[in-house]
Amino acid sequence: MTSTPGDSIPDSDEHLGRRLAAELPRYTAPASLRVAILQAAEPATARRPAWLSPLLASAATAMVFAMFMLTVLPRVQPTDPVDQMVRAVVSEHSRALMWGSRQSQVIPAELPWLQAQSGIGLSSAFVGDDSLTFVSAEPVYLLRQRGLAVHYRDVDGHLVTYIALPADELKVPDRSRVQIDRYRPALVKDSGFVAWVWRQRDVACFLVSDMVSADDLERFKDYFIRVRTSTEPTLAY
Amino acid sequence: MADADFQRDALQHLNALYNFAMYLTRNPPEADDLVQETYLRAFRFSHRFQTGTHLRAWLFQILRNTFLTFYRLREREAAIAEDGVPDWDTPMFHDTPQDEGSAMEAHTDLERAMRRLPEEFRTVLLLAEVEGMPLEEVARVMECPVGTVKSRIFRAKERLRGLLKDYKK
Repeated sequence: MTSTPGDSIPDSDEHLGRRLAAELPRYTAPASLRVAILQAAEPATARRPAWLSPLLASAATAMVFAMFMLTVLPRVQPTDPVDQMVRAVVSEHSRALMWGSRQSQVIPAELPWLQAQSGIGLSSAFVGDDSLTFVSAEPVYLLRQRGLAVHYRDVDGHLVTYIALPADELKVPDRSRVQIDRYRPALVKDSGFVAWVWRQRDVACFLVSDMVSADDLERFKDYFIRVRTSTEPTLAY
Repeated sequence: MADADFQRDALQHLNALYNFAMYLTRNPPEADDLVQETYLRAFRFSHRFQTGTHLRAWLFQILRNTFLTFYRLREREAAIAEDGVPDWDTPMFHDTPQDEGSAMEAHTDLERAMRRLPEEFRTVLLLAEVEGMPLEEVARVMECPVGTVKSRIFRAKERLRGLLKDYKK
């Protein structure tokens, strides 16, 4: 075999390189591959509308701002003073229901001590009877005011709490008043509890229980009469 | 994601990349997947591409790295197979349907010999001799010095000649 000028020697590196370039089959990409690549690349740019990014950014900013403000904003409280007081009174009743009195005092032996601590004097007090047993009496501090709580329990085990607080600007709502005997207390419900609300001179009085059913309410009226007729609270100072 | 100009420039190298992928994978569906994955990565990271450098070399580099990533993964999986025998027919990409009929057949001794070369020898020959890339570009794709590329080309051809001689016997 004679090699001509320009020809490489068979099996030389140069010759082998040329064979590779010339003889190795070249594979061409199928047309579908180009389409698939473009389709796979497209969604990221086309699927997301132009307005989506700024909208998401502003929504995220608003959410962060709202979350920050939640910690700063005051808690939602009832605006009506009576509702506020009833809520506080019901909370105190619930506390006593779950954990009992902080310290039990005996009426009337400890009345002077109670008066000194609560700022509420009791010239006379309901000390319990056959249907409503006296449990305890204690000073309380509700809505930044000192007051007095007396707890009773009826024969069915219902806890009934009498609370007296300085009345200040309390106005018993006419719309909720119920005629009981010669009295017209208001009946206010809150969080599954019910409370009689009335005023005796400068003292706001509450009688709280969970007796919300129609039958229970009749008995609860009776309890109100018993407490109301026998208890005379006054501001001590 | 890449802009339209970048996509157009990159897709000019589609056939070359597909050819390279076929010699790496020996399987058309796998080559399809490999090339598509290469382009998606290139589009995703187009901001990293330095304008003025060789786009072709950059794309080949991505393709080879993608192949090696999956190849090594498959190799590792094969190494822990119960029978201890590597299963080379396992699809490189997990979502590739296994199609025994799709494996590429070698038509010539030269092609058959190329298949038997180790990947690093096969790649330098494909890039330097078949694609006609300058050694600097090959070095970039292979992520090694130019001297190493030269050495690999020399050894690859030596190995290839030996294999071709065996076929003639």
